[in-house]
Amino acid sequence: MPRMFDTIRSRIVAGLIPLAIGLVGTALLAAVTLRQMRHAVGDELAGLRASSEIGSGLVATVFEEIRAAEQYLAAPGADSRRLFQAAGDDAFQYERRLEALGITGEDRIAVGRLKQLNAAIQVDYAIAHALKDLGRDGEALTQSAAVRPRAAEVTRLVRDLASRQAVKAAQVADRLAAASREREKELWLLLGGIAVVGLFLARWAMLSIHGPLSRLVTAAERFGSGDLRPVTVGEMPREFRVLADAMQRMADRLRRIVGEVVGESDRIAGSAGDLSATSEQLAASSSEVSTAMVEIAGSADHQRAALGTMGTGLEELRLAATEMAEAADRTARLGEEIRMVADRHRGDVGAAGKALLDVREVVQTTSRQISELAQLSAAIDDFVDLIKRISSQTNLLALNAAIEAARAGEHGRGFAVVAEEVRQLADESARAAEEVTRTTTLIREHMEEVTATMTAGQAKVRGIESIAEGAARGLTEIVAAIEQVEHASLRVRVAAQANRQTAERLKQQVEQVAGRATAHASSAEQVTAATQQQGASTQQMAAAAAHMLEAAEKLRGLVQGLRV
Amino acid sequence: MLAACSRPGGPIVIGLAGPFSQARGASMLRAAQLAVDQINARGGVRSRLLKLKPVDDSGSENTALRVAEQFYADPAVVAVVGHLSSDPSKAGLRVYGAGRTPLVMVSPSASNPDLAGINPYFFRVCPSDAQHGPQLARFARQTLAARRAGIIYVNNDYGRGVRRAFDAEFARLGGVVVEADPYVPETRSLEPYLSRMRQAGVDVLVLAAERPGAELALREMQALRLGWPVIGGDALTGIEADGALAEGVHVSSAYLPDRPDERNVAFVADYARAYPGQRPDHRGAGAYDAVRLLARAISEAGAGRQAIRDYLAKVGRGKAPFEGVTGTVAFDSNGDVPGKQVVIGVIHGGRLVAESER
Repeated sequence: MPRMFDTIRSRIVAGLIPLAIGLVGTALLAAVTLRQMRHAVGDELAGLRASSEIGSGLVATVFEEIRAAEQYLAAPGADSRRLFQAAGDDAFQYERRLEALGITGEDRIAVGRLKQLNAAIQVDYAIAHALKDLGRDGEALTQSAAVRPRAAEVTRLVRDLASRQAVKAAQVADRLAAASREREKELWLLLGGIAVVGLFLARWAMLSIHGPLSRLVTAAERFGSGDLRPVTVGEMPREFRVLADAMQRMADRLRRIVGEVVGESDRIAGSAGDLSATSEQLAASSSEVSTAMVEIAGSADHQRAALGTMGTGLEELRLAATEMAEAADRTARLGEEIRMVADRHRGDVGAAGKALLDVREVVQTTSRQISELAQLSAAIDDFVDLIKRISSQTNLLALNAAIEAARAGEHGRGFAVVAEEVRQLADESARAAEEVTRTTTLIREHMEEVTATMTAGQAKVRGIESIAEGAARGLTEIVAAIEQVEHASLRVRVAAQANRQTAERLKQQVEQVAGRATAHASSAEQVTAATQQQGASTQQMAAAAAHMLEAAEKLRGLVQGLRV
Repeated sequence: MLAACSRPGGPIVIGLAGPFSQARGASMLRAAQLAVDQINARGGVRSRLLKLKPVDDSGSENTALRVAEQFYADPAVVAVVGHLSSDPSKAGLRVYGAGRTPLVMVSPSASNPDLAGINPYFFRVCPSDAQHGPQLARFARQTLAARRAGIIYVNNDYGRGVRRAFDAEFARLGGVVVEADPYVPETRSLEPYLSRMRQAGVDVLVLAAERPGAELALREMQALRLGWPVIGGDALTGIEADGALAEGVHVSSAYLPDRPDERNVAFVADYARAYPGQRPDHRGAGAYDAVRLLARAISEAGAGRQAIRDYLAKVGRGKAPFEGVTGTVAFDSNGDVPGKQVVIGVIHGGRLVAESER
């Protein structure tokens, strides 16, 4: 389609212009034909009228001429002579006019003959008149008689001319009729052609409007039914193209909007799903937190119980330390007594054979007591072992607590500090226990030394005879040993004292820890409660997310009806 | 336009139409051929020879029509000299002035006043009859001092035209036309007219007649022993050959062979050399001038039909008048030569001579 015909307007104009031109042309042709016919008919009529007028005029003039001439012959006079002259001149004028009609062929010959005849008639009469004037009437009559056949011929010629004119007129009329029929045919053909062209152009214009229009309607229906995919509407007039472009733009925009809506609803659905999942996770993790809290609370209880147990242990330790101190005091006191006895008995050594037996007994008792002490120190070992175990367990517990606290995050931070404290406490307990172990080991070594010494004393007592002098020395050694025992027992007491203090401090701290554990347990319970509350909120949130998801699904369902 | 031009290099063809089988036509042919021969002897026109193409029209309208068609259809023919008299000229002009390649026609002697301005392709180098009648009246009234005139006229356009013109001028000058009597070629005797004129009393006889009618009148005058001075129009030309019969008859003419003009003297001499014993008449002199005028037109405007016609239309009106043996040719818008004077000659010794020579 040429660019110039790309609007409906231009097509209609392009269609109308040839039609208008054709119609105007037809009208012009018809008008020209009518005009030509009118002119032709007019010319023919004028020619006919002129020829008949001239013909009849000529005949009339010739007869007038003859009448005047005859009149002159009958009675010569200036009037009839003048009339004859005038008629002759008139006839001559008629002949000229007849020639001027543009006659041809047979008519020309006839007109030529007419002229000759008329001239001859005039001459005959002129001569006759001359003869008459000269009084030669007989000659004049003879001369004028010659006119009659000529006059008859003139009449005949004019009549023939008129009839030929009539025939010619009829021929011309026939020709005109034929020409008009021809023209009519041409006009009909032209009109038919115009009608065909008009139909063609109308069809062309209709097609060029209808085709694109139906394509546009189809496209619009597609858009209406929600199919927003781009459509190819094809070649169409500019007005439709504007419409189609507008529709395409609308569809583009709708498509973009729907795309965005779909994307958004997908995203919302995704978000809602995520939210739902998150809230589920959250619910799960809050229940986990709850569980963990319950566990923590439980652990705190356990811990509290363990701490209680530890406190009891520490009390026992303190008691044992007290007992150990008392035993050390007793040992010191016994050492004093021994020293005093030894002092008392040192002068009496010689005399104290029997006393030696007592000494032996005392030594044996002492040995026994030392063994008991050793046994006691073994109990201390056991206690220290217990403390070690407790501290190790505490340490472990503290580590666990630290781990849990770390897992609890922010909420567990305070607890982590407590757990660290607990762990340090346990370490300290372990160190104190270590010290106690070392001390008791030292005591045990000394006691073994004492036992060995007493065994040696016993041997010396048994060998008293041999060692009588050595008895005093032995006693001095005993006193020295007792002093060392005293020193040792003092150190034990001091250590026990320290141990007791440590145990007391430890106990206090354990009690503190227990208090904190209790507080922690209550905090954990609070956390649990909060977590439970959060769980409820999460449930609500999950419900909202479900609603949102549902809405997003619905939205997506709505836009899924639209194909993009 | 090619159709209207002669082929380059070939001769330039000029048609010549007239009644060559008659004495008047033969005179025309001789003079035209003389003009062509003289021009070609001087090298032709535009370095091309001129060529005459004479076709006899018998002086009849129908033949003239056919001749005109023949000339018109021949593209080599660039102009026509002819036709000799008025009626064939009128017929020929219906052909020459029509169609796409109109052909110009220069008549040497067609003197009918009706021809004036009949169409743009008609020119004539002779005065019209309307100039003869008044000239004859003036001559009769002033030179012959006649008061009562009798007219015998041939009952056709020519005779009537001369009669009418004479009548008007003669009456204006104080004369009286006692009677004007028609005749036709078939008329056997003019004696009744002459007898009546003798009764009525005339002092001049005007013969607005052709040569045969004039001869009849002169013979009957002799028979009646009538001694009126006789004057006639140029249709009498040739009557000088009748010797004593025509002696003393005054004839109006556009041209007299003894016209005392050096061009004419040379022409008459050349004519006599070319055709021993012959003298040119007004028809021959007109044809001679027409050929030479066309040669000038072709030499100045080219050998094209329209160019020639347009040039002729300007002769005397923009272009210089043509000085011919018949006098000065200067056309008016009708193709007429109004400036040309009709002269009255007298037949003396078998020749038409100027009045002064008598």
